[in-house]
Amino acid sequence: MELSKSLLLSSLALVLMAPAGLLAADANDSVALRGATVYTAVGPPIQNATILIEGGKITAVGTDVKIPAGIRVLDVTGKVIVPGMIDDHSHIGTYEFRDENEFPVPVGPEFRALDALNLEHPAWTDAVRGGVTTVVTGPGSGEHISGQSITIKTFGRSLPERILKEGGEVKMALSKRTLTNFSTIRDTFIKAREYMEAWRRYESGEKKGPPPKRDLGLEAMARVLKREDRVRAHVHFAHDILSLLKIKDEFGFDLTLEHSTEAYKVADEIAKRNVSAVVLPLALRIGFADELLEGNAVLQKAGVKIAMHTDHPVSQEKWLRFGAAISMRYGLPEEEALKAVTINPAQMARVSDRVGSIEKGKDADLVVFNGPWYEPKSRVAMVFVNGVLAYDRSQEEKSEEAQ
Amino acid sequence: MFSQKHKPSSKRQSTAHVGWLAVAMLLLVVVLQPALYSQEQPVIAIRGGTVLTMTGPPIPNGTVLIRGAKIEAVGAEVKIPKGATIVDATGKYVMPGIVDAMSYYGIRPYDLDDTSNPVTPENRAIQGFYPFGEFMRGKGGPIRSKDILDGGVTTIYIAPGDRQVIGGQGAVVKTAGKDFDSLILREPAAIDMTLGEPPKQAFRPERRSPATRMSIAGLIRKELVKAQEYDRTWSTYQAKPDEEKAKAEKPRRELGLEALVKLLHGEIPARVQADLVDDIRTAIRLAEEFGFALVLDSGVAAYKVRELLGAKKIPVVLGPTSHPFVSGGEGFDLDVYRMMDERNAALLSEAGVKIALASFARGLGNLASPITGKWLLLEAALATAYGLPDEEALKAVTINAAEILGVADRVGSLEPGKDADVIILDGPPLSVKTWVERVYVNGELVYSREAAKQGQ
Repeated sequence: MELSKSLLLSSLALVLMAPAGLLAADANDSVALRGATVYTAVGPPIQNATILIEGGKITAVGTDVKIPAGIRVLDVTGKVIVPGMIDDHSHIGTYEFRDENEFPVPVGPEFRALDALNLEHPAWTDAVRGGVTTVVTGPGSGEHISGQSITIKTFGRSLPERILKEGGEVKMALSKRTLTNFSTIRDTFIKAREYMEAWRRYESGEKKGPPPKRDLGLEAMARVLKREDRVRAHVHFAHDILSLLKIKDEFGFDLTLEHSTEAYKVADEIAKRNVSAVVLPLALRIGFADELLEGNAVLQKAGVKIAMHTDHPVSQEKWLRFGAAISMRYGLPEEEALKAVTINPAQMARVSDRVGSIEKGKDADLVVFNGPWYEPKSRVAMVFVNGVLAYDRSQEEKSEEAQ
Repeated sequence: MFSQKHKPSSKRQSTAHVGWLAVAMLLLVVVLQPALYSQEQPVIAIRGGTVLTMTGPPIPNGTVLIRGAKIEAVGAEVKIPKGATIVDATGKYVMPGIVDAMSYYGIRPYDLDDTSNPVTPENRAIQGFYPFGEFMRGKGGPIRSKDILDGGVTTIYIAPGDRQVIGGQGAVVKTAGKDFDSLILREPAAIDMTLGEPPKQAFRPERRSPATRMSIAGLIRKELVKAQEYDRTWSTYQAKPDEEKAKAEKPRRELGLEALVKLLHGEIPARVQADLVDDIRTAIRLAEEFGFALVLDSGVAAYKVRELLGAKKIPVVLGPTSHPFVSGGEGFDLDVYRMMDERNAALLSEAGVKIALASFARGLGNLASPITGKWLLLEAALATAYGLPDEEALKAVTINAAEILGVADRVGSLEPGKDADVIILDGPPLSVKTWVERVYVNGELVYSREAAKQGQ
């Protein structure tokens, strides 16, 4: 923890400049949005609703919200508002210089995505334009254990302001297709247990002498063993999922399956362990067999919490919603599809106190659509992040005309 | 199966209540039947739906009449012959089969891109084409590419890859047919070339040419000059009188140069993949130097030179709106990314450039087959969100694509005389909620969602 704090502090100096077009947007973080149909992600849609935003937070939402004097009112009648969308599995910012996989180190839980994060890539601005306001971006899956992700907003005045959560999670990959894959992961958990035990004995005074040597990787593993954060495991095949669930049974950590291609084949095994799953498809990028695409509805019915992902740059960050739309085509109910890009990933990433739904007290991260959020024909009209208008289509069009 | 075979003899009409005239007429019909239905051609009338012909305005409550493998009539007041199989499309949409103007469907990744050589115009994509479903599984019989037929895709262009400078010859094929040969609409349909980063990335790390854009253009020039000389040698030989010909040494045949001569003679166009403005300009320059017909592929930055493309009437086959990086794989080029604009299709179309939206679908890893072409209508819908009119978006995946591929005499629109490649959708074609219910290819029902659901 000590280390992550100091890193955060040092990064305070790194004040990020958002692209000029975005900064030109209204920096005021108090506004009332009136007249839209609001999909809160935690309840039924509210017709003709008002959302009150004060100081970057949602302070009221409903049909009979009193707007305090002096608050700017935006008429969004006829529009659709959903929570800012969340991508629970992305490599945005880390892949540009191929910084997502430290291949020579097959076990590297100590690595942190923050240290490789390039916030200058145009994909961040595009993500905002597509209504994606929060991403979990992190190391790739080229190693057994590849490191820690960062949960970060796609827009904000400064890096510290943008970060929702840094480090903590440990990313693993069950994709090496070798048996060493599993034994290495088990071995690392065992080492972490021993490491924790060594520290416990030292700190309780049971063992005298010099303190045990610090090991940043095992510290990260200890954190997930104590369930202070989750394990994110890249996994595609049903038998690998089962093997992974057995490791979870053995060590008792919280787990999110990543990609989860064949998770539907073992949905009940996943559900009974309360494991959540980040699922395919990846926007419209890759065609999968119908059985796989129907798998999301199977998982949801079985009680597995699911979230969509882009795996950016595999598919583009900004089209996150199409994963949900395609899932709807293949049987996922509309409200569940919306949850899969909002509240579910927020809960899985443990940031649902801040984001993921339109509720009083949450960050005012909102997407205004000019039609149903899941239709390709619809377009994002406005995006608010922390109450700040981060994207405004009409402004963009004006500046385009001026060019 | 849903379509009943037309059986003229099975008509059970009572003649008890009708006069002699009617009997005479019936006799006449019976007499004429062998002529009318000499090949027992089934007649199908799809009626009641909103018919989107792609060459005229939508026809509400229209009828598409199919006889045998061809469309016989399309309109609001089409007379349906007796004995026709009626397909009720009330409340549904009827349109031509989707044409995917660029894909690698049916070609396994290791059969694409012979990177042992940057220039292989002799290679033919059709020889890597495997339309028989999953390798080493399934039954034989008529060919049905179900995984893209369910997206309404009935015609596709297949290319030999995009990592070589001149990859070879592409083909236009259908996605269903009684056998392999019946799939082929046009072969060769074009010469496939690629400019810019993909060939560089394939050859430069091996310390081989092309390592630069200069060398890419240089290789194309060199090869086309060879083809010009080859053409001259052969035409000189062919022009000789027979007795002289017998004495003269017959020039050697070169398959690659033969293919390029077709390009130089304007029999087929070049499909040149180019994303950045400089690469697009190189493509145009080469086309003008050698006088070949150019189709621009991918064209991420094409909107930047849309006036030029419009003036020169160069059509563009764009990659998917959701992922226009057709060659970049996962680590796509930042220069290309910066050029990306979702309005590409809309801006080009507005400037009068003929555009097609294509999937460029290829497999990615061992988990996915190249079947995203089945979502082409959704890609078209996405383009409409950024200003492309609905009608143009639909044309971009039907008639425009067919015209660019040189097969518009056969497919791409609902017009009398064209192949009966017709799809029926259960809702507006540009909605994510809409499903393709039925697909007819050459007048035959080759996909039915209902039957597919029942596992047939």
